[in-house]
Amino acid sequence: MTTVTLNINGNEIVAEKGLSILDVAKRSDITIPTLCYIADKPSENPCGLCVVEVEGQDELMRACVSLAKDGMVIHTESDAVLERRKERLAIISETHFGDCKAPCNLTCPGQINVQGYIAHVAKGEYEEALRVVMDRNPIPFSVGRVCPRFCETRCRRILIDEPVSINHLKRFVADWCMEHEIDLKIPKDRPTGKRIAVIGGGPAGLTAAWFLTKKGHSVTIFEAAPKLGGALRYGFPDYKIPKDIVDYEVNAVLRMGINVQQSQKWGTDFTLQDLKDSGFDATFIAIGATVDVPFDVPCTDKDNVFTAVDFLRQINEGRKLDLGKRAAVIGGNNVAMEVARSLLRQGVEQVTVVYPRARLEMPANQRNVKEAENEGVQFLLMASPSGLCAVPDTNNRLKLDLIRMKLGEPDKKGKRDILPIPDSTNSLGVDTVISSLGQKAVAGIMGGGELEAELKIKANGMIEANVRNSSTNIDGVFAGGDASAGSKSVIQAVVSARRAANNINAYVMGCEKDPADDRFNFSRGKGFDDVSLANFDGIGINLREKMPARPPEVSTQDYDEVKLGFTEKMAKREADRCLKCGCTAFERCDLKRLDIDHKINLNKTGMGKEPVYPVDENHRAITVDPNKCIFCGRCERSCEYDALEVRAESLDDKGRPVGLVIDFKENCVSCGKCVDNCSTGALNKKSRIVPIQSEEIREVKTTCPYCGTGCQMILKIKGQTLMEVTADPSVAPNYGDLCVKGRFGHNFIQHPDRLTTPLIRRQKGMPLEPVKWDEALDFMGQAFSKILGEKGPDALAGLSSARCTTEENYAFQKFFRAGIGTNNIDHCARY
Amino acid sequence: MTGLVTVLGSGAMTNTINGILKSDVMLVIGSNTTETHPIIGLRMLEAVKKGSKLIVADPRKIKLCDSASQWMQQRPGTDGALINALCNVIIAEDLEDKDYIAERTENLDAFKEAIKDCTPEWAAEITGVSADTIKDVARTFAAGERAGIYYTMGITQHTSGTDNVCALANLAMITGNLGKEGAGLNPLRGQNNVQGASDMGCNPSFFPGYQKTADKAACDKFAEIWGTPVSDKPGLMATEMPNAITEGKLAGLWIMGENPVISDPNSDHAKHAFEQLECLVVQDIFLTETAEIADVVLPAAVFAEKNGTFANTERKVQRVRCALIPPGDARDDLSIINMVSNRILGNGNHGYSNYSDPVYHTVAPLASEVFDEMCTCWIAMAGMSYERLEDGGLVWPCPDKDHPGTPVLHIGGFPRGKGYLSAITWSGPAELPDAEYPLVLTTGRVLYQYHTGTMTRRSEVLEGSAPSAYVEMNPEDAADLNVSDKEMVRASSRRGRIKLAVRITDRVKKGLVFIPFHYKEASVNLLTNDALDPQCKIPEAKVCAIKVEKLEVALAV
Repeated sequence: MTTVTLNINGNEIVAEKGLSILDVAKRSDITIPTLCYIADKPSENPCGLCVVEVEGQDELMRACVSLAKDGMVIHTESDAVLERRKERLAIISETHFGDCKAPCNLTCPGQINVQGYIAHVAKGEYEEALRVVMDRNPIPFSVGRVCPRFCETRCRRILIDEPVSINHLKRFVADWCMEHEIDLKIPKDRPTGKRIAVIGGGPAGLTAAWFLTKKGHSVTIFEAAPKLGGALRYGFPDYKIPKDIVDYEVNAVLRMGINVQQSQKWGTDFTLQDLKDSGFDATFIAIGATVDVPFDVPCTDKDNVFTAVDFLRQINEGRKLDLGKRAAVIGGNNVAMEVARSLLRQGVEQVTVVYPRARLEMPANQRNVKEAENEGVQFLLMASPSGLCAVPDTNNRLKLDLIRMKLGEPDKKGKRDILPIPDSTNSLGVDTVISSLGQKAVAGIMGGGELEAELKIKANGMIEANVRNSSTNIDGVFAGGDASAGSKSVIQAVVSARRAANNINAYVMGCEKDPADDRFNFSRGKGFDDVSLANFDGIGINLREKMPARPPEVSTQDYDEVKLGFTEKMAKREADRCLKCGCTAFERCDLKRLDIDHKINLNKTGMGKEPVYPVDENHRAITVDPNKCIFCGRCERSCEYDALEVRAESLDDKGRPVGLVIDFKENCVSCGKCVDNCSTGALNKKSRIVPIQSEEIREVKTTCPYCGTGCQMILKIKGQTLMEVTADPSVAPNYGDLCVKGRFGHNFIQHPDRLTTPLIRRQKGMPLEPVKWDEALDFMGQAFSKILGEKGPDALAGLSSARCTTEENYAFQKFFRAGIGTNNIDHCARY
Repeated sequence: MTGLVTVLGSGAMTNTINGILKSDVMLVIGSNTTETHPIIGLRMLEAVKKGSKLIVADPRKIKLCDSASQWMQQRPGTDGALINALCNVIIAEDLEDKDYIAERTENLDAFKEAIKDCTPEWAAEITGVSADTIKDVARTFAAGERAGIYYTMGITQHTSGTDNVCALANLAMITGNLGKEGAGLNPLRGQNNVQGASDMGCNPSFFPGYQKTADKAACDKFAEIWGTPVSDKPGLMATEMPNAITEGKLAGLWIMGENPVISDPNSDHAKHAFEQLECLVVQDIFLTETAEIADVVLPAAVFAEKNGTFANTERKVQRVRCALIPPGDARDDLSIINMVSNRILGNGNHGYSNYSDPVYHTVAPLASEVFDEMCTCWIAMAGMSYERLEDGGLVWPCPDKDHPGTPVLHIGGFPRGKGYLSAITWSGPAELPDAEYPLVLTTGRVLYQYHTGTMTRRSEVLEGSAPSAYVEMNPEDAADLNVSDKEMVRASSRRGRIKLAVRITDRVKKGLVFIPFHYKEASVNLLTNDALDPQCKIPEAKVCAIKVEKLEVALAV
């Protein structure tokens, strides 16, 4: 074999003669990007990305078709090369049309793979759906009940009928897994030996503890209350989140292996210094915002005047309060709505929410406002309380003085302030007044010790935490959730705590933090107005499933949960409504990867704006979306059967296809190799409807269970679900080839018909009944021993299986030969 | 296997899958390779593209015929006659490899005597293949420098199965095609681990490593390895078990991962027998038809939920790796065997670790420990370990830790010394068509399904591609019966009857019908013949006589 010696990027390389520059680079582990490469089959319409600069040559050369020659000096990353590649990528990307991530996913503060879990629901994979949620949100039971659902506001289904009921699906999978006693078996990293203290066992504290434990740290939660849950337990009443659900959620988090110290109040029972002294490497403050902003009008020191958090805590602790018949709630935030609805359940007949602005301006989520109204809560809008000093009427315990408000002139930003209407004083006779004017983390200065005194508190009563790294002004002390951000939704507390956990991990390990999701995204249109309706051709109206709920006249009589949850059928139907906007080739798309690597800014260079071709679902196993095709031809050239044709009527001035046709011929055997070779999501396996994003994928090499060829396969596993099967082109005997069974024939693994428990038939004629292993083994053992005793070893026999492993077959025949003492052992395919 | 062991001393595929690319002639007989072994079929098509000649012998016009240089459409059950005639031509025309025969084989004279009368003209009568075609094929095959033979159940599932295999061995030997790359005698294993199960003694007369139970030395060896005396009494073969049950000799049966109620010929008979067992234990991943009649059903794991090895058709031992936790209380089969063994024999784990995995619920001994024990039982695997298998498989024989494995068998010699040229006289199938059952039925697989369908019929793409049973019938036969394409008909034999759709096609000749055996709702093994090959007791699943009737005719009777 003759060789050539050449230089690539300063490295002297000796290579076999006759290879292309690309092949030489590949063998030397030098990556030259390409979108169209298939070994030994050069493209007729090259992507042009593999260009390299060869010294002494005027033009850049395509590495895939240029022979490596003796003495060549090659640069694969020179400015000219990078410039050209960017140019080519921009041209290719300009007509690529699709969504990388779905809008729901992008809108979710938690960046949860929403489409992913919906797709799992559609496939009946509820356990895996919950794992997807848990990848970013460890408290799905609560969030599934109280989330403001930012995602649903961006659901493209709105352009057809109504958004997908995403949050109800999340609740469904959580509840289903609880009902079926599923242990998600989420793996933890190796122990790091680091100890972390989390102050507060609410949403943020639980979340941070979960993610830090997952990273292998030893975490202790210090909770002031006797039970964990924080706002979930003491903020939301039972009709929103039942206490048994909170208990289950908390326990599910703690099962990860988290230490808990209850009834330990920071500042009273321990200080930050104590934590440092007892060896914690970092502390996370997640005490929430539980200090009510005072009701600052005269005479609020009277009896029967409460603040919201205090009131809700008492209700949630099950206290009986004498609240009278009429109550006023001051404030229009989410907490106020829960206060008002709780008052109804306490037997208060008339509950009035007093708010100085219009209804749409209430900070409460409008869904919560509507729910309160449905239950009979009244709203006195454009009114502001002025005091409680007046002497009440005989029928009431308190008299709330009010003044009507009007809107002033808009300021520079267009915001209109409210102004009292002169002489509009009025009053409302009530028995109870509860103010809900917002919450803060700390009242004044945090007490306890020196470090507490040093801790910076913002003017609004929140703990100051750096937005980039979650740190407070004290080294090793971090803060997050409502304690630093103020009262927000549960999911926002989860997000804040998850980021903090990432920051804390980086701090204690002295490493870089896990990178945030890349913002790069192809999009079919950012706003609803930008989305072509041609995307939805052929999709009929199919309204969302209605959440079963108890009617208000019944539900306000007790604290039982109002919303009853989707049934399995409803959940599946709802999941089927998903338009699957995001690309299911997300994790394997070469175009996206190279665009990101080369920092292509699609907003500047452009991307496809509307669909040119219909999505083709005619193939049994493969979905074809020509709008994503970049005409690289890898599919056609990788097909071993010449069963796929990709052609264009013509090429535009930049070499891109016009009138593209991707055609499966009659002789296609559905082996799916073309999909594995697709450089984008133009070809997709129909069974792969779940996009994989940040979730961890394990690739397990194994041997195909079908015929005797023994093809080597790679199982892509997410959680406990086989996502798809691929093969390595460099591994014998199949060298990347698989048949239809090898690539598509594995649904049986997760089939609901799988046997999951031993069965025995106690007597002939009776049905099989499920039993535990112990009983099954006893039953079989007794029967076999009896036969052995009465008739001898040759009255027993075994039939083993060509499907089972060699080890199993060996152990099976050994059982009969060495254990029983018979040669009555055979298998059905030994011939 | 019995045939090959007798004549060569080893019963496996002699060559490799990718060696196909080096062959210049391929004889594919009784194997619908592109459907049953798609990737091997693919290699054959690649070889054709590279200039290799493909000869197909099959009663049906299978896909490979499109790429074949010659196609012999023999009548089912006449393979032996066809092969003998090929040998006859080669000897008669002096095309044999004389040096090879002299050096490597024995019993030439008896062999010559046996095939003397098997002229192409004689075979043409029996097989329906013209004498000229037979001569042509013989010449093509003999001219190949590297000529490989590939076969499956189409050759073996006959009362003459063993003879057919010996006849093929004759053909390979007289042309000098055993012991070199790209040639050989290659039974393609239908299931993932037929080879491994065979290698490890799941056979009534062989211990692991094909060591005979009748051999005193072998008994002593295994008695020592297992620390207990072993029986030298031959055991029952699978096909003999149903009768042993009805005769009261067999009372307890443990079936691991098989579904004989569907897959056995004359399966109704097998089912009735199993129902008479005192205790039937079935271990499987689904409640199969056999599990339904069991007394104990043990929930097993699929390949992706266990560690271990499969040996593929080319004798390559490859790893199976655990990727998923079995659902619910399902357990991997090895752990089940270990649990049963502990319970019934109470023998503990001598020499093994007691490691049990809490997540995967495995019960010791682990697969790796069992593998190591296996390798001590058989010199051909003595050099293997999981560590060595990490970088791909190893092909046995691999007798020591530095041995690279043996992809091509019989280079320079056979295990039994000289290859034995068998004197085969051809005998026809046990059941031939007659006036009452005028059609010849042959059975097989389709690409999208596998075996009794427990796995494939639960996979959407596969089931969607081939959802129901059908009978392939020649247009002339269909016209005679006045049935149209897709019409439902009744097919019946002396043993049973099923209802299924007609598929009119010229893939089959007049008088021949084909039914795939995957479909329990039209289980073709209710019709097939359980007559056995006298030597290896394989049933004649591939040919029997049936009739097909229009439904209204059938129902009117």
